[in-house]
Amino acid sequence: MTATAFSRRLVRACALLAAAATTGKADEAGVDFFEKKIRPVLIERCHECHAADKKVKAGLRLDHAEGWLRGGDSGPAVIPGKPDESPLIKAIRYTKLEFEAMPPKSALPKQEVALLEEWVRRGAPAPATPAPVAGVTAGRRAMTVEEGRRFWSFIPAARPATPATDAAGWARTEIDRFIAARWKDRDLAPAPDAAPAALLRRASFDLLGLPPSPAQITAFERDPGPAAFARLVDEMLASPHFGERWGRRWLDVARFAESSGGGRTLLFKDAWRYRDYVIDAVNRDLPFDEFIREQIAGDLLPAANPAERARRLTATAFLTLGPTNYEEQNKDQLRMDVVDEQLDTLGKAFLGMTLSCARCHDHKFDPVTLRDYYGLAGILRGTHTLHNYTDNVARWVDATLPLAAEEEKALAAHEAKVATLEKQAARLRAATKAPAAKKSRSIPPGDLPGLVLDETQARVVGAWKNSQTTPGYVGEGYLSDANEGKGEKTISFTPAVPSTGRYEVRFGYTAGTNRATNVPVTILHADGEVTITVNQRKDPPAGERLLSLGQFRFEKDGQGYVLVSNEGTDGFVVVDALQLLPIDARTEAASPAAPVAAKVDPEADKRAADLRRVEAELKKLTASGPKRPLTMSVREAAGEIGDTEIRVRGIARNLGPKVPRGFLAVAHHGEAPRFRPDESGRRELADWVASEHNPLTARVTVNRVWAWLLGEGLVRSVDNFGTTGEAPTHPELLDHLALRFTAGGWSVKTLVREIMLSRVYQLSSLPGPGASERDPDNRLLSHTKRRRLEAEEIRDALLLAAGRLDLARGGPNFGATTPASEYGYVFTDVRRSVYTPAFRNRRPELFEVFDFADINAPLARRGATTVAPQALFMLNHPFVIEHARHAAERTRRETPDAADDARVAHAYRTVLGRPPREQERAVALDFLAGAPGGEAREAQWSQLHQALFASADFRYLD
Amino acid sequence: MTSPLPLSRRQALSRVACGFGFLALAGMAAQAATRGTNPVAARAGHHRPRAKRVIFLFMGGGVSHLDSFDYKPALYANDGRMLEFLDQRAIAKTGAGATGRVMKPMWEFRQRGQSGRWVSELFPHMARHADDYCVVRSMHTEGVAHGPATLFLHTGTTNQIRPSMGSWVTYGLGSESENLPAFVALSPTMANGGPRNYGSGFLPAVFQGTAIGRSGQKAVEAALRNVRHPDLSAAAQQRQFELIRALNGEQLRARPGDRELEALASSYELAWRLQNHAPDVLDLSRESAATLALYGIGEEPTDDYGRQCLMARRLAEAGVRYIQVNYSDNTNNPAWDQHSNLPKHKDHAVRVDKPVAGLLADLKARGLLEDTIVWWGSEFGRTPYAEKNGTGRDHNPTGFSVLLAGGGFKPGFAYGETDEFGHFAVENKVHMHDLHATILHQLGLDHERLTFRHDGRDYRLTDVHGRVVHDILV
Repeated sequence: MTATAFSRRLVRACALLAAAATTGKADEAGVDFFEKKIRPVLIERCHECHAADKKVKAGLRLDHAEGWLRGGDSGPAVIPGKPDESPLIKAIRYTKLEFEAMPPKSALPKQEVALLEEWVRRGAPAPATPAPVAGVTAGRRAMTVEEGRRFWSFIPAARPATPATDAAGWARTEIDRFIAARWKDRDLAPAPDAAPAALLRRASFDLLGLPPSPAQITAFERDPGPAAFARLVDEMLASPHFGERWGRRWLDVARFAESSGGGRTLLFKDAWRYRDYVIDAVNRDLPFDEFIREQIAGDLLPAANPAERARRLTATAFLTLGPTNYEEQNKDQLRMDVVDEQLDTLGKAFLGMTLSCARCHDHKFDPVTLRDYYGLAGILRGTHTLHNYTDNVARWVDATLPLAAEEEKALAAHEAKVATLEKQAARLRAATKAPAAKKSRSIPPGDLPGLVLDETQARVVGAWKNSQTTPGYVGEGYLSDANEGKGEKTISFTPAVPSTGRYEVRFGYTAGTNRATNVPVTILHADGEVTITVNQRKDPPAGERLLSLGQFRFEKDGQGYVLVSNEGTDGFVVVDALQLLPIDARTEAASPAAPVAAKVDPEADKRAADLRRVEAELKKLTASGPKRPLTMSVREAAGEIGDTEIRVRGIARNLGPKVPRGFLAVAHHGEAPRFRPDESGRRELADWVASEHNPLTARVTVNRVWAWLLGEGLVRSVDNFGTTGEAPTHPELLDHLALRFTAGGWSVKTLVREIMLSRVYQLSSLPGPGASERDPDNRLLSHTKRRRLEAEEIRDALLLAAGRLDLARGGPNFGATTPASEYGYVFTDVRRSVYTPAFRNRRPELFEVFDFADINAPLARRGATTVAPQALFMLNHPFVIEHARHAAERTRRETPDAADDARVAHAYRTVLGRPPREQERAVALDFLAGAPGGEAREAQWSQLHQALFASADFRYLD
Repeated sequence: MTSPLPLSRRQALSRVACGFGFLALAGMAAQAATRGTNPVAARAGHHRPRAKRVIFLFMGGGVSHLDSFDYKPALYANDGRMLEFLDQRAIAKTGAGATGRVMKPMWEFRQRGQSGRWVSELFPHMARHADDYCVVRSMHTEGVAHGPATLFLHTGTTNQIRPSMGSWVTYGLGSESENLPAFVALSPTMANGGPRNYGSGFLPAVFQGTAIGRSGQKAVEAALRNVRHPDLSAAAQQRQFELIRALNGEQLRARPGDRELEALASSYELAWRLQNHAPDVLDLSRESAATLALYGIGEEPTDDYGRQCLMARRLAEAGVRYIQVNYSDNTNNPAWDQHSNLPKHKDHAVRVDKPVAGLLADLKARGLLEDTIVWWGSEFGRTPYAEKNGTGRDHNPTGFSVLLAGGGFKPGFAYGETDEFGHFAVENKVHMHDLHATILHQLGLDHERLTFRHDGRDYRLTDVHGRVVHDILV
């Protein structure tokens, strides 16, 4: 229903309400009919949920006329005289078409439905009695916006006085004074400063995500102290690894992923650009307010040059990366689901607020109203996140990235050339019929028309064998599953079609009697997905070289693949090639799958030869030529910009009144926002979020940075600054940091440096005397919190100790060919973990057991559990065993001719960042000496290194 | 994977994103709070339970209720007629219904057992147990496509991130086994939500399901992960374990009384027990030839699902709380999804029919059926009409059937009705939320009180819906 339809209905209902009041008395027979036939039905069937003295569902009361005429949350329930338009009738007809079928438990008997229909048709006569008095008063009331403005997080930050220097002269920085000032309340004394080696290890993991080298540790131990530490911090802040570590933290908040998860998980093949954008922004120390603006509205912001434009477009992937269920069939619902996900992410990431609650009703606890929600939703609904809202399986928006002038020129020339050839090919194709197949040993791929992918261009999962046994294959040979490992092998082709349109998909295999009869071939095309079973014992129809699987639409730069699996197959599965034949209007009519009668025609032979030549040229050109880079983005929804309606009870098609676009009233001070008439309002939204006057944004941001360094936030519920969150332990320090942050140009690096150089950061993790009793949760920070390494740090540190970590930066990381799907993906690269493909349904096992973020929702803090599967992983997983072997080998290499105890010491320094204590050295030497005869020395050393990886000190930062 | 982990209440609070859950947990079971440490320790629910565990036999893709357990004579009378139907997929897309060709059941129905329940020839073995289970014929659910509907089945939502049912149960009741995870998913599919269907969502990770095997892998190869060192002999591994124990002991000595390090040390002890005991539970070689035959193990095509069902019984005996036994595959149009070629239903039926019947017989003979709920069903049913001119049926979330055996469900009982074509549930409707609420109820859990605070709100498996269907309980 449109907005106008809704208001029409409202007007009509009001008019009828007035009419009912005047005509009520006249229709005595009607009232009698109501009392005898209708009221009993309503009482028996409906009043349980829709009458006074009960918890009224959906705001609808059916115990008096005004109740059904004015209706509930969804508007009038009865339109007198119009049963087909009355929601009440629609609901009891049990079709679930627009309204939930009612009553929920069982449909009414048919005669009762007929009675109610008749009643409505007669004008819904009823006595004009007032509403029976409800015995139950309304439930608990949410905090109003006015009350909310007095809640701490919505009050603008005020500059606090820095506490006076403490008597003991302990404090080194302003931060320290805020912290130390609170200790005397509870008679606390600070823990001692951390030992230099422990401090350096902590700082290095915190800033870079990597351990310090043994040489760095030795140097710092020789020359410790604040000046040396400050120098090290500056070096680390300048390192590109800082962006990798801190970028990863933001990626958690942005629920960054490279697949959609959800029902049908699709690959986000360009999401890596957003990942690189974030890392780069951190390394450049892009002011955080700019960082916010770019992510919310980068596509709308002016750019000084193509590179800046590209960066800003890429930033908006922030809005697109959610775990969307693209196959949701109700597209209105899908659209509002996407908006909801964006609001949820935006609210938590920047404002520390859970906005989603207000999708269906005013927030139960926080001063966030339905109006606030749909004011914000209007902004995001005026933005297209999906390509369209009609496809069976929807697709996100891709934007082409602008190029530097030079590159643009080269690309344009290339595209023009491709277009000319394509036109030529199409003309020839129309005039040529496919030549009859002849059985030669091998067919050169260039001899086949259209887009041809040989098995060498496919993504192969599992052990497939090359074969040339059966002739008639395309190219060099074909692949066979050897009739083994059923369900473990797949081959996928991801054809990059030159232009959007319909294609005939043909599958090449060599038939034989030992082949499987039931090979599942799945085609993901622009309109959906289909699985076709191929019998490989049979040849394609006479005259065809490859088997036609049907015609499907593929989009240029869209998702699309053809996946052959050997799951459940009953013989050898072979895969040779894939061919995609473009269907234009003329050839489509000629049914390309039909066998062609052989006829001698010299003209045709020449045309066929020309076609082969043109197509070969085209193929070469598209394979080698430059490609236009794409990024995930959003675009303005032309024609749909403006305010949107409240969705009553959150149901997408249940429209309430329109509300003006706007922000969170409780956190907005000053005039009502004004929006550019021709834009969604994201630019204004971005400015409001990134404003120094926004009471939440800066506080939320500095609190996160604090939590990332100190283990807990000053507000411990880092994502929740609402009334159900925790109050700040040090409100003055929070405001102090927030104000300094905004006044100083929103520099994250400056803030990090300030916290790192505070003495409180540098405390030991061992509580001082009495601290555990007097401040059991260490809320007053008299010592630091020991931190368990996160999954990425464990993996990177393991690889580094083994001498195997590849420090290459940025770029895509799916392997040589893009996989068709995350399923079956095998993680093999040894790059830093921030680059590990971040799939939602499949991740390395190490990530799984060590609490890698659930990247379905924004998250500022990882869990850090200690569970048996982690122990099993460290004891038995080949990844650990293999890298322990490499690490042992490295130790041996780096300590040639050394005695065992020197070697043990070296291993400790490399793996744990400290020398062994006396007793530890003895345990290790005992182990080495006690090896049963015949066991290789190397194996003993591997096992020792593995034990160090498995030990507590590897996993914890003191 | 879930395993008991020793954590102090305070530590638990400080470690999970939202500590209130553990408080709630502790509040719910005072004994756990006083004992204090193990968040998956067995604990009492809200009321006296009728059942201790659940075996969920998941038929991925959507079994046709019209060809199995919901007998509709009108389908024979109208076979081949083109009629208007309120097709749910069409409605979701366009807001209006569509025309479909009525298709009669493909397998003959007969009344079975003393109860006289109608069961078709599609499931001859399960038909013999008609007096053992309750058929709910008036199920309805959310989601027209597999992804959303499968997620709804397992997590109570189509599109949000929520804990799965098994993790809610584990959160509510803890584990009965010291050496095994409390929640196991046998051969789960990676499609249609994949791990989310046995994940813990915002509940602490200890409550997530442990996958054993995966869809597409033979059940005979299914095993717990990382319980064997690939190279070392048992003696060598013992030696290495002693080394790790000693090194951790030395590190603990530097921080005496440190709970985190103690927790880490005991996680190794538990891992060691798991490594030495768990594989036995999955080892079917000690089962008698008669038992193996009962499940159809050793013969095709029942060997695979038969093994899964027998493993489920062994896991149930060993104290596992919630066992998903998945019959699916990794495609987005899973096993039972016969949009065309409905006769293919038979291929799937012969694979599961005997194993499921065998499981029921075996549980009954061992007295386990008393306190085990066996739930057999799909994410939705199928339509009474063919798609276009096709030979199959489309998805139908508005009416379908599930079977519930043991655990206090009325045996030999049929509940609810669909309309004359079997399209919409119309009488005594049971929503998926209601089914969830009812199963929780039998386990001693009140679905309205089994909550977890997240994002400032108390969440439930049943959201703000669900009612216990007392009519189907003994």
